[in-house]
Amino acid sequence: MIRSGQIGVCVLVGLLVVLPLLLTPNLMNAAIKMMIAALFALSFSLAMGQAGMLSFGHSAYYGLGAFATLHLMKAVEGSLVTWPTPLLPLAGAAAGFLCGVALGWLATQRTGVYFAMVTLALAELLYTLAPTWNSVFGGEAGISTMRMNSWSINFASDTGVYYLTFAWVAVSTWCLWAFTRTPMGRLALAIRDNEHRVRFLGFNTHLAKTLIFATSTMFTGVAGALLAIANEATNYTIFSAQASANVVLQTFIGGAGTFFGPALGAAIMTFFARMTSDLTRSWLLYQGLIFVIVMLFVPDGIGGLISAHVRMLGKSAVRQLSLPYLLCLVVGALLAFGVIFTVESVHVVLSDAYSVLRRANGGALVPYPLFGQTFNPLSPWTWAIPVVSILAGAALLPLARRLTRRGWSQALQERAV
Amino acid sequence: MEFLVVSILNGVIHGLLLFMVSAGLTLIFGMMGVLNFAHAWFYMLGAYIGFTLTRTVGFWAGLIAAPLIVGLCGALVERYMLRRVHRYGHTHELLLTFGLAFIIEELIKLFYGDFPVNYAMPPYMKFAAFTLYETNYPFYRLFMGIVALVMFAVLYVLLTRTRVGIIVRAATYRPVMVEALGHNIPVVFMSVFAAGAALAGLAGAVAGAFFPTGPNMAVDFGTLVFVVVVVGGLGSLEGALVASLMIGLFISFSAGLNWSLADLLAVVGLGGWAREVGGLLTLQLSTVAASMPFLLMLLVLLIRPAGLFGDRQ
Amino acid sequence: MNRFWTLLVLAGASFVVSVTAQAEPVKIAVIETLSGGQAAVGKMFLTAINYGLIKVNDEKAWPDGIKVLEYDNQGGPSEAADKVKAAINDGAHIIVQGASSAIGGQITDDVRKHNMRNPGKEIIYLNVGAEAMEFTGSKCHFYHFRWNGNAEIRLRALLTAMKDTKTLGTKVYVIGQNYSWGHDVERLVKEYAKFGNYTVVGDVIHDVNKIQDFSPYVVQIKEANPDTVITGNWSSDLLLLMKAAGDSGLKVRFATYWMDQPGNVANAGATAIGHFNVSSFYPEANGEATQKFADDFKGKMGQYPVFIQAHTVHGIWGLGEALKKVKPGPDGKLNVKQLAFAMETVTVKTSMGEVVMRKEDHQALLPLVVATVSKDAKYKVDGTDMGFKPMRLISGKDAAGPVQSSCKMERPAP
Repeated sequence: MIRSGQIGVCVLVGLLVVLPLLLTPNLMNAAIKMMIAALFALSFSLAMGQAGMLSFGHSAYYGLGAFATLHLMKAVEGSLVTWPTPLLPLAGAAAGFLCGVALGWLATQRTGVYFAMVTLALAELLYTLAPTWNSVFGGEAGISTMRMNSWSINFASDTGVYYLTFAWVAVSTWCLWAFTRTPMGRLALAIRDNEHRVRFLGFNTHLAKTLIFATSTMFTGVAGALLAIANEATNYTIFSAQASANVVLQTFIGGAGTFFGPALGAAIMTFFARMTSDLTRSWLLYQGLIFVIVMLFVPDGIGGLISAHVRMLGKSAVRQLSLPYLLCLVVGALLAFGVIFTVESVHVVLSDAYSVLRRANGGALVPYPLFGQTFNPLSPWTWAIPVVSILAGAALLPLARRLTRRGWSQALQERAV
Repeated sequence: MEFLVVSILNGVIHGLLLFMVSAGLTLIFGMMGVLNFAHAWFYMLGAYIGFTLTRTVGFWAGLIAAPLIVGLCGALVERYMLRRVHRYGHTHELLLTFGLAFIIEELIKLFYGDFPVNYAMPPYMKFAAFTLYETNYPFYRLFMGIVALVMFAVLYVLLTRTRVGIIVRAATYRPVMVEALGHNIPVVFMSVFAAGAALAGLAGAVAGAFFPTGPNMAVDFGTLVFVVVVVGGLGSLEGALVASLMIGLFISFSAGLNWSLADLLAVVGLGGWAREVGGLLTLQLSTVAASMPFLLMLLVLLIRPAGLFGDRQ
Repeated sequence: MNRFWTLLVLAGASFVVSVTAQAEPVKIAVIETLSGGQAAVGKMFLTAINYGLIKVNDEKAWPDGIKVLEYDNQGGPSEAADKVKAAINDGAHIIVQGASSAIGGQITDDVRKHNMRNPGKEIIYLNVGAEAMEFTGSKCHFYHFRWNGNAEIRLRALLTAMKDTKTLGTKVYVIGQNYSWGHDVERLVKEYAKFGNYTVVGDVIHDVNKIQDFSPYVVQIKEANPDTVITGNWSSDLLLLMKAAGDSGLKVRFATYWMDQPGNVANAGATAIGHFNVSSFYPEANGEATQKFADDFKGKMGQYPVFIQAHTVHGIWGLGEALKKVKPGPDGKLNVKQLAFAMETVTVKTSMGEVVMRKEDHQALLPLVVATVSKDAKYKVDGTDMGFKPMRLISGKDAAGPVQSSCKMERPAP
């Protein structure tokens, strides 16, 4: 019997293979970056979700993988060595693994929040010392190089890069999934649950944790290498605490408890950042709001949510839950619209361009443009739009929750029967 | 000699400023196990509130109102956000505060603009307290130091000599038992969080008048505060004070010293070789002064993770 | 955002009104830091670019108008690389950017590689803010044009002006940030010791944007006892340094590159008075002409041009002058290679004087003004009672340093 999970994976792989033919070049680039972010999140989640080692400095290995690959690419470009381009991520893997062993051996001497702090300290030290070590990290401008064609595949175009990235992400994902099935993977789970006991069973947990951490950083190094190949350059800002924090957030938004959750979270947030950063100047505010809302109301993450649906519901659920979910969507849209309208209005009214308009009209509060329409800031109708929207959303919220709860209990009952 | 005295003076004041900001964080962590990432952003919020009130009502009104308003924000955050997330684990709480930090920063930028604002101390405080080796020492620095010391004294007395303090400290170790004894633990948690936030707000209102108040002030301080809390011991007030002073002095001294590893190697005669190799070996201490606290944090974590004054676990 | 819509309507209108045959507007992609820590500076570049385009469109430099596409590079080189690709895919002919040398470095390399791989579909990178030396040195290439100064040009202007007004002294101390910019400035200050007739009595480099308390560095400066302290610091590093120096009563003159960044004078307060700054524009720098420019800018954009905005405007005007020299092809499209050839010999008449693009390294030779913070200035800044009073206006030719030997530009066949 073919399980739905396997079908899902096949469909996904098939979709990703034909994607370049369907998408515009912009979206294909976005897809490349989303896949790299997904791999980064998956490798992070190996250390965190499986082994319970929350690392706040994973961007260190990301960056080290990228720099190692760039140096190899430079050597190839300067004809010092020959190395096929598709095998470049091996350099990233090697760098990630070796540094993971070295730094992980230090870090895994501590557990819990102290482990997180050690990884943070290591990453911050690297971040501050990297710009001073010009020969390795290239100073502020970083290291820049060019991809060379290999194996008669044209890597000058982004399509070649897409398939290279896809191939490596697919292989790495399979490896990470397979790892969870190995005895070492099981050991990781055991260590997460009760390290003391595992030690008493005779395992050298320090060595085990170091190796698990190094495996995680190995794939992080691969992700970094893929970034280096895609961008053909990087600089020391890749080591920033921001990048480390981002991957933690993406993992939790996607759902740390499932395998694919982190990948999903990374893909969604990368796409979100890309699309909204050009549309509005306050996109970081919206991102922060999304973080907070997901943490508050969807603690298992989006992946956890999907997994709960797949696990607990049968086919009849579609009928019972479609109406409640539609209502939830409407509520969400109303609330979101109200908030966005308010934020964007405030932004426009406080901007310099608006003050020019005001000055031209003697300081009066003239109508301001937004979304292609003009709104009068003093008119009650203008305020009515977001207020009504938010109130409507808030009013419908209890109804939506009740309907959803009822739909779920009905669906679960039918499943039990 | 001059270098020694001036560095000590500067280092102590810088350390006391760090203490003002990190006192609240270490209390919150010790009590609730929440590493409040948004703590430096409460600091920034306090500075901006101080700025707004200084322009409209007055400087001292700002100093009083800022901790109250930020404390109220902290209470609301704890009551409606952190409490919900508490059962999902510490990571969720941490990430929630991370998202909160974004929101606070972006809202401030939305209303106050992207550039630093002119939050200035009242003119009658702008004089030199004394002159040392022909260098003036601004009075406001002493003022900040005094505020920090008063803060420490009040907190210490509150925690060790009052009934409220006993309950709070007991709740750190055995919250369930304390609740069984009839105390309202959720209110205790909320008050501690609010108090921590209020302290950060006060620090912001006081320091913001001296240091530039801008949207980047939280990021600059944020990571250093973590270092202080870790080195001092998560949850220990005295540890935070000692660690802040240590780090303040450390930064102060290393900013003035141009030693490098090459100089160290010169002692054994390898100086010339080291200078030729360059890179890391010729890096001067004054260049990486502000980054060395992380090295300190690393050493403390590896050698004695509980910090200087924390409890061994 | 308003400018975007206005220009879009303008471009759209001119698009409709113009020839019924295929007509193609020139697409300019502004890839700037519009969110995050450096957003303030990025937005200033955007304002200046939009103002510059008003004149270019009024003069109909390109018959089918100019369309502006805005991209947010989120402050990071990796995201900037993404937006470069997005801009290319959206059909941009020119990329404009200024807020960071690190991002500029990524863009200039990406543009060079794209042009190498796609002959016939080249794009130009108009650099209006990245001041690291390497852009017209080891990283120079034919399709990059720098319309702002660089560390050397600004230093020459500073030294010339201060030498002339006898305010430089003979002992100079240099303090800088620990990255390529700070290193460039320190190296140049030492190289120009003979030019400026001074000795460098001390130098120190410090962490970027991490130091809150500069008093230890002030102690070091005091020990060296210089007449002038030269620093390329910007943002809070400059502000805190000056505050620490002012608070300690240190009697020394600061010669800075970036004191006119909005917020600095307000926060420094009276400490700032008497210090020198080099800039590409001040409203009082060149009499009536610069005042007219400043007032016009304020009327249209809501604020006086500050900091990096004027040379950005001049850069866009330079683009306009170059566009006037090329004609649309038979299919209405812009030939970017021709535009590049036109741009490397362009001269722009501005209120500060002539800005000339130098062919050898694509560095604009722009006039600079050295001013001192004073209460006598007519145009106040930051809402304070102080402003920048110009001391000397240095012409483009005088400020220009030599072409760097590391620049080996490969020219395509015309």
